[in-house]
Amino acid sequence: MFAAGTFLRAQDKFYTKTGTIFFRCTKSPLEKIEATNRSATCVLDTKTGSLQFAILVKGFEFERALMQEHFNENYMESGKFPRSEFKGQILNNNEINYTKDGVYNTTVKGRLQIHGETKDVETIGTLTLKDGKISASAGFSILLSDYNIHIPSIVSDKIANNVNITIDCNLELFKGQ
Amino acid sequence: MGVKKKIFIALAIIAIAMGLYVYREYFRKNKNLSYVKANFKIQANALIKEFEENEKNANEKFLDKIIAVSGAIRDVIKDDKGYYSIVLGGDENMSAVRCSMNSIDQDEVGLLKKGNIIMIKGACTGFNADDLLGSDIILNRCVIQKNDSR
Repeated sequence: MFAAGTFLRAQDKFYTKTGTIFFRCTKSPLEKIEATNRSATCVLDTKTGSLQFAILVKGFEFERALMQEHFNENYMESGKFPRSEFKGQILNNNEINYTKDGVYNTTVKGRLQIHGETKDVETIGTLTLKDGKISASAGFSILLSDYNIHIPSIVSDKIANNVNITIDCNLELFKGQ
Repeated sequence: MGVKKKIFIALAIIAIAMGLYVYREYFRKNKNLSYVKANFKIQANALIKEFEENEKNANEKFLDKIIAVSGAIRDVIKDDKGYYSIVLGGDENMSAVRCSMNSIDQDEVGLLKKGNIIMIKGACTGFNADDLLGSDIILNRCVIQKNDSR
């Protein structure tokens, strides 16, 4: 029993490198402005509840190439700000029983860095524990203007300042190197 | 034909050409990389080394470029929605080249096995440095390079 206890304790980090982050800032029904990044990294420390995400901005794929180019060049300036990251904390981590399968609601708070600007964000999400794996999902929205991203008036009827972001990550045990 | 009429026809042709151009540009999709020549051909481990030694220089050289990377498959990952990622190279540490595969050739990608030697072509989106997980070069819209002709 004692051995099993220490075994579990050594393995408290879960991770993925193929997390999905999707965003949508569509304003006009005629023009879908949305993109997906399937190479998000995520690390969850189940012991402390610390949670981190990182993505490469250039990794967002749009349906239309021109939109993707404008996203990178004019709005996100991904050459100058290649990465976006979130560093935060599951506030109710002690309510989650990581040894028992189930669906747990979480409140996550932390610092989100986009376009070189860092802001506090807080959202609710869920952790689904099943067969030793954790799937983490959350949805929240941010304002582009908070991150110093300006929408020219000529396209302001198409691009919403309010961006909806959804996150889906299937985390597995981090076994170390 | 009068001069006015000629000018009118010329203007009409220009307007149509511009309209076509704008239309095509507006609806342009990302190219299927199977039909695009690679800017660079490189071994996975050599690419990792370039980024680890000098990320800034490597970014200038490779970012947004089409790279054909060869190496042994370390992992084949399929996500919930059926999208594949192929992990190449990086024997000694966790760093690797991660190739997010194009959704078109999924059947073929599903047959790949760990240890297979392969060449994959993709668009370089950068270097995701991570002390804990190991740093990765991430390629998007990847396709299997079938021969050396491109």
